[in-house]
Amino acid sequence: MLTIRIGCTLGACAGPVAAALLGAWLVVTPLSSQENPDVKPILPYPTESRTLANGLTVIVIPMPSDGLATLWSIVRTGSRDEYEPGRSGFAHFFEHMMFRGTERYPGDIYNRIVTTIGASANAYTTDDHTAYHLSMATEDLEKVMELESDRFQNLSYAEAAFQTEAGAVYGEYRKSRTDPEFALYEEVMAAAFERHPYGHTTLGYERDIAAMPAMYGYSRTFFARYYRPENTVLLIAGDVTAATVLPLVEKYYGAWQRGYVAPQIPAEPEQTAERRIEVRYDGQTLPLLSIGYKLPVFDAANRTRVAADLFADLAFGETSEAYRQLVLEEQVVEDLDAGASYNRDPGLLDISVRIKDPSKVDYVLGVIDATIARFQATPPDAAKLADLQRRLRYGFLMGLQTPDAVAGRVTPFIALSGDLSGLDHLFATYAAITPADVHTAAGEYLRAEHRTVGVLRSRP
Amino acid sequence: VNTRGCVVVAILAAAIAGCAPESPPAPEREDSAVVLMSVAADPTIALSVQFAVGSQDDPPGKEGLAFLTGEMLADAATEARSLDEILAALYPLAASYSMRVDVERSTLIGRVHRDNLDAYLELFTDSFLHPAFDADDFERVRSDAVNAIENELRFSSDEDLAKAALREFVFRGTGYAHSPEGTVAGLRAITLDDVREFYRRHYTAANVALGIGGGFDQALVARVEAALRELPSGEAQAAPAVEPAPITGRSAVLIDKPGADASISFGFPVDVHRGERDFYALWVANSWLGEHRNQSSHLFNVIREKRGLNYGDYSYIEAFPEGGQRSMPPVNVPRRTQLFEVWIRTLPNAQAPFALRAAVRELQLLVDNGLTAEDFELTRTFLKKYSLHFAETTSARLGYAMDDRFYGIDGDGHLARFRRTMDELTLEDVNAAIKRHLQVANLKIAIVTGDAANLRAVLASDEPTPITYATPKPDAALPLGVAAERITLVPVTEAFER
Repeated sequence: MLTIRIGCTLGACAGPVAAALLGAWLVVTPLSSQENPDVKPILPYPTESRTLANGLTVIVIPMPSDGLATLWSIVRTGSRDEYEPGRSGFAHFFEHMMFRGTERYPGDIYNRIVTTIGASANAYTTDDHTAYHLSMATEDLEKVMELESDRFQNLSYAEAAFQTEAGAVYGEYRKSRTDPEFALYEEVMAAAFERHPYGHTTLGYERDIAAMPAMYGYSRTFFARYYRPENTVLLIAGDVTAATVLPLVEKYYGAWQRGYVAPQIPAEPEQTAERRIEVRYDGQTLPLLSIGYKLPVFDAANRTRVAADLFADLAFGETSEAYRQLVLEEQVVEDLDAGASYNRDPGLLDISVRIKDPSKVDYVLGVIDATIARFQATPPDAAKLADLQRRLRYGFLMGLQTPDAVAGRVTPFIALSGDLSGLDHLFATYAAITPADVHTAAGEYLRAEHRTVGVLRSRP
Repeated sequence: VNTRGCVVVAILAAAIAGCAPESPPAPEREDSAVVLMSVAADPTIALSVQFAVGSQDDPPGKEGLAFLTGEMLADAATEARSLDEILAALYPLAASYSMRVDVERSTLIGRVHRDNLDAYLELFTDSFLHPAFDADDFERVRSDAVNAIENELRFSSDEDLAKAALREFVFRGTGYAHSPEGTVAGLRAITLDDVREFYRRHYTAANVALGIGGGFDQALVARVEAALRELPSGEAQAAPAVEPAPITGRSAVLIDKPGADASISFGFPVDVHRGERDFYALWVANSWLGEHRNQSSHLFNVIREKRGLNYGDYSYIEAFPEGGQRSMPPVNVPRRTQLFEVWIRTLPNAQAPFALRAAVRELQLLVDNGLTAEDFELTRTFLKKYSLHFAETTSARLGYAMDDRFYGIDGDGHLARFRRTMDELTLEDVNAAIKRHLQVANLKIAIVTGDAANLRAVLASDEPTPITYATPKPDAALPLGVAAERITLVPVTEAFER
């Protein structure tokens, strides 16, 4: 059992010093829930949010956690930002390079210190953000913050290390491509988005991955453009207090220079006709069906847009009529799933199906179309909607088991808006949605001319 | 290994008060054990009902019977409700339950917010007390299980396929050989009557243990205890012996999968268990060699970090299913016999011989030289803190406590013993454990590859297989010494058929 050591053991938090450092915060950001009385905080913990003079936002979530804390560095850059030809997959590749170290803490030294601390460290890349997270004993938070702030400001690697890491990234692609769901997803996104970078997966096109070793120069440009304080949010959760954490953030991140260059992301033109693709898989698989409907950009305060996700669950979730018919009674489908994107730019409402009988693909598509038509004709049952609203709330609360889990839950929403306001708005909107909202969403968004239908089958 | 009566596990955390010693003791049962883990600050309740039955109890020719029986409890109708009625009842609770069928144990795991406990508890207990064994449900879960092997295991994840092939290769002829999900032929041979009979025989009071964790009260313990009394008394079943054929020399099975890159696993059984001092000493050595999904792993550094050959390279002294999806060790998969296992993630076929040789070479260096004093100190320092992440949730802590029952670990349990032993171990302890349990002479190797014929020739020839890099790299080469007649090719469409 570790002793929790916070307070003056962290040095810079001594009274007068702390007061002086706190004075350096330029902006004090009140949370949305404090501005709007209808929006209540969904997190059962107090949160504090501050923005440094250099634009870095810091969110602190103190919670009981047995002496553990987690530090998440959320860079609001993902594969969405890969708008230049030949650069797909670069945000993910760069996530790997961030572990290659600095002049002060080269990669092997960084790893050795993280090992000594016994931190659980990892990172991931999505369409919209890249997150680096370390979970550790609270007593080690300052050391971790020193390491993280150093690599975010002073990353340094040789071209040889860059080329070696490109091999590891290619290996990650190799392990993923045997999955038929990945193969279909890759093709459906490419068909659905002709101009916007959502058209490629986070891993990137294979041809771009193969060419990565030659892009050392671009990698420095990528770092200079996007790894900037005004494009980053720090999230610290666990056995911590804002009073002790915030001065440390100022100490280690205060000198980080602004310089974010916004990406020139092309808008996707409006889709005017249904697109259909057939994908052949070099292996044995049940047929997979994926239907993606274009959605407007996510807005946590827009009831119709939020209702799109509730529609997906009511129409195709495990208590839906379609699930009962296709999965439980007729048993022509093994998996049926649907959900709406929470992306920063307009994304998709995706319906995914694993079909047991290859001859039933058209039949299953017909049942899906009939289900959509029914929701477009009639609002859903109010009691079922109430069950879903209750499920969403309890599902969220039950997921808050550890500081890392809390951070993982809130990070996608931080990536959208740069703060926690969207999350609180979302749950307020969930609670306010009526059957009429779901009906409206089905009518507005589930239009054939806005969809891409992909079917994957084994190659004959 | 059984602990009778009530086992109360105290969590020594200032933030988590109200531990069970102040609660009245649970009713004593003659034929089961109860693990209580009170975490008053947790608004949820974790439930675990574990039966001493697993895939090792599958009758020959009916591999998958334990798995299908578990699915017919957790993913099927009860006498009172159809499955869609159960799903509808669970839906607003945001709760579920599932059965983890492993080799030795089948564990029904559930979790619910305490606001929803009453509505949940009846569904949870009904699932294992009053299954309906509906014929339509049976067809569905069996069809899903066959598909999971025919399509998903064989074609969707080459890394999982290589691991499963290694286990089958090492444990062939024992109940540990087949995956808990069974084989294609075994699943197809199982009838609904087989499931009913398996349930009747194994799901008894003599075979059950109960775990409750989180923000529960004594009334809940009494309610679940009362439910368990509805189980027939039954008789404890002796676990079948696990005596794999001794491994002599090196041999390989190549899963021939056209178009595939190479995914490699190799290893051998080790006779060391949680609770034993040697286990913790060997954990230190293994952590240094191949800590799971961690950049501290030596194999990771040699194969990925320095050479960029693949995504990662790790080693294990305990079963670690779903390694690609989890970062911390699993619970509820206790086993009497463990496998020392090296996992080399997917890489180009042309680089497979080199990567395999590099991994064997690094293992040999560890066996020959042991850890240095510096590596020993660094690794045990790492593990003392890193192990805090093994069980951050109530469910994980409860799982460890249930596993402690299996391994016969009394007192404060495996994880506390783990951390304590890190302070007690010496470099000599670790290096002696390496000598006792690890070796490189007798290995079994499993490779999924799209270049099986060529790879067989390369492995058998023992010619050097240098590779070229875009940038200079350290050398590593070692003959493998796998005789041609000891390399078996299996077409992927036949893997786990029987």
